[in-house]
Amino acid sequence: MSKCSYTLPIGPVHPALKEPTMFKFVMDGEIVKEVDVQPGVNHRGIEFIGMRRNPLQVLHLAERICGICSIVHQYAFTMASEKAAGINDIPERAQYIRTIMAELERIHSHVLWAGVAAHELGFDTLLHWTWKLREDVQDVLEYISGNRVNYAMYYQGGVRRDISPEKIPRIKEMISAYRREFQKLADAFLEDPLFKHRTVNVGVLTKKDALETSAVGPTTRGSGVPKDVRVDQPYGGYADLDLKPCLPEQMGYPNTGDTYAKTVVRILEVGQSLDIIEFCLDNMPPGPIRWEMNVNKVLMHMKKAGGEAIGMTEAPRGEMIHYVRLDPGDENVSAWKVRASTYNNIIAWQKMLVGAQIADVAIVAASIDPCIGCMDRVTVVDGETGKEGVMTKEDFYRLSVRKTRRLRRMKGKPSGGGW
Amino acid sequence: MASPMWFEIFRQLFDRPFTNPFPVKYAPKNMHAVAKAIEEGKVRINPPVPVPDNFRGKIEYDREACIGCRMCIKVCPANAIEFVPPPDGGPKGGKVKFYMSRCTFCELCTEICPKHCIRMSTEFLMADTNKYSDNLVITDSGRFAEQPPPQAPPKPASPPDAGQQPASGE
Amino acid sequence: MMDINDLYVRMLLGVLAMLAAVVVGLAYKGIDRKIAAHMQSRIGPPLRQPFRDISKLMQKETITPDGAVDWIFHGMPVIGLVAALLLVLYIPWGPLSPPLKAHGDLILVLYLLIIPSLAMALGGFSSGSPVAAIGAQREMVMMMSYEFPLAIVILSLAWFYTRVLPGSAPFAFTTMEAAPIWGLVGPIGFIGAVLLLLSLVVVTPSELSKIPFDAPEAETELGGGLMAEYSGRDLAMFYIADAVKGLVMAAIIVGLFFPHPLSPIVEKYYALPLIMDQPVVAWIIDGLFFLFKVFLVLFATVTTVRVAFPRLKIDKISYIYLVPVSLMALAGTLLLYLDTLGGV
Ligand code: SF4
Ligand code: SF4
Repeated sequence: MSKCSYTLPIGPVHPALKEPTMFKFVMDGEIVKEVDVQPGVNHRGIEFIGMRRNPLQVLHLAERICGICSIVHQYAFTMASEKAAGINDIPERAQYIRTIMAELERIHSHVLWAGVAAHELGFDTLLHWTWKLREDVQDVLEYISGNRVNYAMYYQGGVRRDISPEKIPRIKEMISAYRREFQKLADAFLEDPLFKHRTVNVGVLTKKDALETSAVGPTTRGSGVPKDVRVDQPYGGYADLDLKPCLPEQMGYPNTGDTYAKTVVRILEVGQSLDIIEFCLDNMPPGPIRWEMNVNKVLMHMKKAGGEAIGMTEAPRGEMIHYVRLDPGDENVSAWKVRASTYNNIIAWQKMLVGAQIADVAIVAASIDPCIGCMDRVTVVDGETGKEGVMTKEDFYRLSVRKTRRLRRMKGKPSGGGW
Repeated sequence: MASPMWFEIFRQLFDRPFTNPFPVKYAPKNMHAVAKAIEEGKVRINPPVPVPDNFRGKIEYDREACIGCRMCIKVCPANAIEFVPPPDGGPKGGKVKFYMSRCTFCELCTEICPKHCIRMSTEFLMADTNKYSDNLVITDSGRFAEQPPPQAPPKPASPPDAGQQPASGE
Repeated sequence: MMDINDLYVRMLLGVLAMLAAVVVGLAYKGIDRKIAAHMQSRIGPPLRQPFRDISKLMQKETITPDGAVDWIFHGMPVIGLVAALLLVLYIPWGPLSPPLKAHGDLILVLYLLIIPSLAMALGGFSSGSPVAAIGAQREMVMMMSYEFPLAIVILSLAWFYTRVLPGSAPFAFTTMEAAPIWGLVGPIGFIGAVLLLLSLVVVTPSELSKIPFDAPEAETELGGGLMAEYSGRDLAMFYIADAVKGLVMAAIIVGLFFPHPLSPIVEKYYALPLIMDQPVVAWIIDGLFFLFKVFLVLFATVTTVRVAFPRLKIDKISYIYLVPVSLMALAGTLLLYLDTLGGV
């Protein structure tokens, strides 16, 4: 800390942050010297709530982890619990419908992000314009699933609502509308001289840093790391597609990893999602949409089944993992762990923010499309003193042993023996 | 220094605003008073955007058809359903009660109910100051017809019965 | 020595002008918000929203943050508002000449214009919040940058008037009103005058701290910046000062470059001498025309600009004013000079 530096707190609640989190900057004039991110103010204990519910109920809880990428949470949880319960023969039609929903959500999330990014730059006109554009895909999501925000579409062994042939024209109409507007959207961001001035070489994440911090999603693709779960470990309908991770170079822009590159990636991905949806609509195989129509039977099956599994999806913000464990005879989910993409990406914040101007903090922070609601899984507060602290590896080990014992007691199982 | 948005800006200046003016164009000074006036039919409001057919709104419950099997309670993610034991204390004849303030509109109860005595209406105006108000605790919505017509479900009595009225300004 | 009656009349006039400026300034703010909303495809707040804001703010608690220097913190809003209101007295309002025209001219106006910004910056520093301190620093940097082209514009205009109309009072608005600049210049000077006008137009949004030059307040970066700690009555005073300043800036542009009245044209082309004999009618026509001109200026310099651009970083703002805009203003001066050479 030099003599003239000072500390600038941003957060927990701040207009630049759409969700509560805490930054502490050590500043030198307008330049950021050190960054300390202190998450943990948006912890809701969702995993614990989930462990007192059966997998069917948790589906809808998982959907509410995040208000924007709700489908991918549900998708990852569905996949994990299906694998854990040994439900393997999911109808292909259901897989395609899942893919379509996930991609519709990606469009809405990326367009929403574009608006937020514009807002962070003080360009509210672009914010309102992109959000107006976003209404179209929201309408289609509502048209397919019934509601605008939480779609309740997925379900162990299939999907709950079909995309019947008479619904397809409306979706196709949306796709062509977006194709028409796509160039305008790209121009509005990528050709705007002031948007360029505010984003080029701002918040640079080099390829090396991206690999070291194991950033995910558009954050890492902007730096030229071709990492995409849909390509690397295809799931759902993605396996039938010939996908390539979107990198800025596809638009003729170098993979610099700055905020502009991340914008390019997201805009490219909107186009990619349109292609995926179109492909899925055209090639949707006929057949049932559920492995088992009777909800009760599904519930019974999962009660009997046991096992643990991981579900991975590519959320609009990057790779997302749900870990689920089911115990035979236990109706409820025995263990549930969510690792959202933002968790990886906030580590990259530090690399991107040091050396930035204070004016850039908002857009750089937004450039990873942070979703604190997804990310905040842990907060450490000393109940007696009310002090917040940082935990070491030993603390974590001690705490996990303690928690395991407690959970066992809760479930009425003898302690000792391996999990 | 030309921005592609500039043209758009001036076009929008002369377009109709995109904002959905439901229920009234400008925020009123006192929302409660306006809600009351709407209830009494004194104020006309702009209609909401129509909801799709498969919209999941406020629950309707056919109490008479319910056999008290508790399946709905078992799947409800939000614990929004309460079991009402039969008045005689016997094993049979229990009913349920839905707390809309907790409901997440997932439609699981509707799907699992063996008697099809739950369904979701298109009603979405459920804001209230009291989460236990009569509007939000559903105990009975009357008999469903044998074959419930997909459209025009009988609406439960609810104060700001908006969507039905013609548009107008403030 | 002014006789005592005259003094009373002037005081009364001045107070009325101030009140009118507050009302009109707030009304323009409402119009600005409405038009900006429509440009963004929104409905926007009702036109009377700024008045509602003020009345709401007046009812709110005025908070003094811990660590603030009390008297500076609460004093600055008053100073800012008073300076903004004083400006009203030295500016021509269409058919109304400045209420205190004999007592101050453009130089005074230039100084008074600095005071609200300075008051805001001092208030920000005194609040003890790091966010407000950054905002205040930025405000100072911005002031130092835009005052330079602003001074160039005003000085070159004054210089031009002494040159072409020797003996006139170069810093008085009345001079410009009597002989608008467009009638005095040749083709080269016309370009020069346009350049000066453009420089003034670019200075206006930052004088008013509007996007893209709102770095001192920068909602998404500093959460209100130097205004971050202000609340209640103090905030209301700054709000009014801002509204009045907006009106004043527009009136200055109108007064310097477009002081033309409308009534002579109406009289000439529509041959309405009967009505025109009534000075009141001419006065009303000119007054409305003036308000319309102010609206156009605000629309062009504030509303469209703040809708069409993202926020600029402070180093870029500083650069813009110190290099391109200053050069533009200097080029304008040079052209005016060449014009006088050719004309003489
Ligand atoms: S599932 Fe249907 S029949 Fe069973 S208790 Fe619920 S409402 Fe009644
Ligand atoms: S819709 Fe879902 S949350 Fe609502 S009562 Fe039914 S099961 Fe519970």
